Amino acid sequence: MGISVGIGIGTLKDPYQAVQAALKQAKAKLGPAQASLAIAFSTEKFFHLHLFKTISSFLPETPLLGYSGTAVYATEGIFSDGIAIMLLGLPENAYFNLGYVEEINAASGGACGEELGARLIYGFKNIRRDLGIIFSDGILRKADEFLRGLQQRIGLSFPLIGACALDNPQAAKPSIYYGQRLLNNAACGLVLGGKISFGLGSSHGWKPLGKPRQITRSLGNIVYEIDGEPASRVYEGYFSCGIDKLRQDLQTISVFYPIGIHLTAEKEYLLRNLAAVQDDGSLLFQGNVLQQSQIRLMIGTKESCLEAIRNAAETAKRGLGSRGAKFVLVFDSVSRYMLLGRSRQAALQALRDAFGPQAQIFGLCTYAEIAPLTALGNKGRAYFHNQTATIAAIGE
Amino acid sequence: MRVDILMLAAAGGFLAVIILSVVLALKMERIKELGNLVSRLKDSLNEMDEQAKLIVRTDMELNKTQEQLDKKVVGLYALQRLSRSISTTLDEQQTFKMIEASNIEELGFEKACAFFWDEGAREFSLQMAIGYEEDGAQGLASFVAQEKERLAQVISSQNALSCLGAKIKDRFTAEASRALQADSFIISPILPKDGKKGFLAVATSSRNALLNEGDEELVAILANQIGQALENARLFENTWRAQQGLEKKVDERTRELKTALEEVEQLSKRKTDFISSVSHELRTPLTSIKGYSSILLAGTLGEIPPAVRERLEKINSHSDELTRMVNDLLDIARIESGKVVMHKVPVSLKETAEKAADLLSMQIKAKNIEFSCAAAGIAEAFADRGQIERVFINLLSNAVKFTPAKGKIAVRATAAAGGIQVDVSDTGCGIPEEAQARLFEEFYRVDNPINEGVKGTGLGLALVKRIIEAHEGKIWVKSKPGSGTTFSFTLPRFSNPA
Repeated sequence: MGISVGIGIGTLKDPYQAVQAALKQAKAKLGPAQASLAIAFSTEKFFHLHLFKTISSFLPETPLLGYSGTAVYATEGIFSDGIAIMLLGLPENAYFNLGYVEEINAASGGACGEELGARLIYGFKNIRRDLGIIFSDGILRKADEFLRGLQQRIGLSFPLIGACALDNPQAAKPSIYYGQRLLNNAACGLVLGGKISFGLGSSHGWKPLGKPRQITRSLGNIVYEIDGEPASRVYEGYFSCGIDKLRQDLQTISVFYPIGIHLTAEKEYLLRNLAAVQDDGSLLFQGNVLQQSQIRLMIGTKESCLEAIRNAAETAKRGLGSRGAKFVLVFDSVSRYMLLGRSRQAALQALRDAFGPQAQIFGLCTYAEIAPLTALGNKGRAYFHNQTATIAAIGE
Repeated sequence: MRVDILMLAAAGGFLAVIILSVVLALKMERIKELGNLVSRLKDSLNEMDEQAKLIVRTDMELNKTQEQLDKKVVGLYALQRLSRSISTTLDEQQTFKMIEASNIEELGFEKACAFFWDEGAREFSLQMAIGYEEDGAQGLASFVAQEKERLAQVISSQNALSCLGAKIKDRFTAEASRALQADSFIISPILPKDGKKGFLAVATSSRNALLNEGDEELVAILANQIGQALENARLFENTWRAQQGLEKKVDERTRELKTALEEVEQLSKRKTDFISSVSHELRTPLTSIKGYSSILLAGTLGEIPPAVRERLEKINSHSDELTRMVNDLLDIARIESGKVVMHKVPVSLKETAEKAADLLSMQIKAKNIEFSCAAAGIAEAFADRGQIERVFINLLSNAVKFTPAKGKIAVRATAAAGGIQVDVSDTGCGIPEEAQARLFEEFYRVDNPINEGVKGTGLGLALVKRIIEAHEGKIWVKSKPGSGTTFSFTLPRFSNPA
């Protein structure tokens, strides 16, 4: 007996009715199997403690994890208002463990990551770990340290994917529901293990433009100088404007024109969204930018975005081998969602085309994504990404 | 030997210097070339970067345009849905209730409110507040009361007011932003043709929703739609009220007419009852008078002198006249009260008409009147044979009475819609138009010299009318003084059930 899954979507005006509708659909699709785990993705409008408690009341024995984003993905469509619920029935030889950590910005990033890692692998002794899924609502100023600490604890032998909020005052803050309560400034996750077959794919579709530049002075996610000049000059030059205008157009610039960090042997640049332009000309990015990194300005189009999700889906499908996908888990960036505009349903169609009608789709439009880099040299290390679509196809 | 060696060494050294100089010169040349190449590459990169800048700026403009276009398309769809929704109500009070938070969100705003302006009282009244708590709505009302003159100007100028283009917020913009609890706002007048005017305000704090002229146009269209919906609702209400008034009047008149009709029916019944009762009472003494006069005339009680006989014959004849009148009255009363049942059978109209004419043959012959009856190919009527005979006797005796010598009387039956039409025509003196309307009234007699000289009760045509109506037929007259008269009536046709 393999994995059983049931995914339902609720978009009714009354959130309680929407939850009930989503749950009803999910249960119907799950069939006779018992739900071992429930995950709910919702838009902010549908994210209320009482709504999640309503779900818990219908599934008293089932652990529930909830996370919010700009839009939810379901087999039926992408919805800017709604709640999607996934009920997962795991076979006897499959395992999972949940964990969370709070006050992630107060403590050191590495220590937080290690603490979460320790909770996630608790009880996993001698059991193969397959896939980790992480959610964070906090602004991780030491994001890389957090991931490094986490992977140090749980190991690099299996991939980590997920979603998080990063340092962008423009972006809404996601919410987490875990253990009958809403968490704040926290990270949580689950590790699946035993015998789970899956394939992973991750791509963004942004292309480099203009001449390569070097980060000459940076600290964490703040870039002070590029090519020996105040960092803002790069954007000022490209957009032919001053700092004030940059700030005014920040939302558009952040979505459409991130910087790409060149990584040896990687097919794509690692993207970093511009989060703020500071008075001293330094730039605040979503995610760390290492000193001496070679960067380019990046540009994306609707077609390149769609091509990226097709590529990510194909890679995930290849990873799954000959097995068909039971369901597809998607973390798609809000930037891509905004760039695609009215063409965003085409992204979902790309997933349907890749995985066929039998594969249910469950996903979220996220502010930042967690996914491993693809090159062997990176040894499965997970990174924070921007503008990326991460797809995990879970097999039968 | 040493000199040779020294010379050779010097020559070698010199050669080496030359070679080195050449190599160095070549290297220098290569370095220069590479320097030029690097310089060209740098130039190319810089050129590429300049081109990239152009691409980025163009792309940015395209993206902004696309974003605005998307926003406008979404807004237009939302506006279309909202317009459809508000136009479904014809209740002025419901118009604002049809606007929901989701509609405003689809238009790209978070909050909306609407106020009506009372010109007489010079004050605004809140009609709708979406996205505001009770405190917020109160704050809005206070702000609007405070800035009523400025806001009334929005209505009178018929122009929208917004924060668009205000680089530095003036006092009003700052106050409006505070009251509307938003960074950006648009206030657009609601201008129905009649009734109260007002304004619609929409507002947002979303950083994604920098307002532009397109938003102003969108809100102006929405305000216009609301104005039209209000206008339609008011028109409907006026029409509805007028219709209600009219229906009330019609009801009142109907009730009055019904009461009058009931009274008339009561009166008619009383009259019929009275006639019936009086006729019955009259018949008994009349029978006695007739009986005694007949005995006296028969001479069973002895011979009577001629003068007495003459008087007795008059008594006898008048008694007969009176009996006929009483019988006619009784028949009319019976038919009216529904006591007479029409025994409908197939009746040949030609035979019945000819039978009636036969009864009047003496008078017809005496006046040398030409009588004709045409009913070829006409089906039988479905009627009470005896009653139809009375109809023909009455109509033909009238015709004979008023047709001068050598005149013509014709009976003609033709097929009519759903039955048979019978026309009884004469070439008599005709009936004046003013008399035709009263012709079928009881006791009515046309005022003409013939009637003055001929006895009549004025009940014959009234009885004919009752009989025809009892057969669900109609009777009417066409006449022109001096050109004769035609009485026409309809009867049901007999349809053989086989």
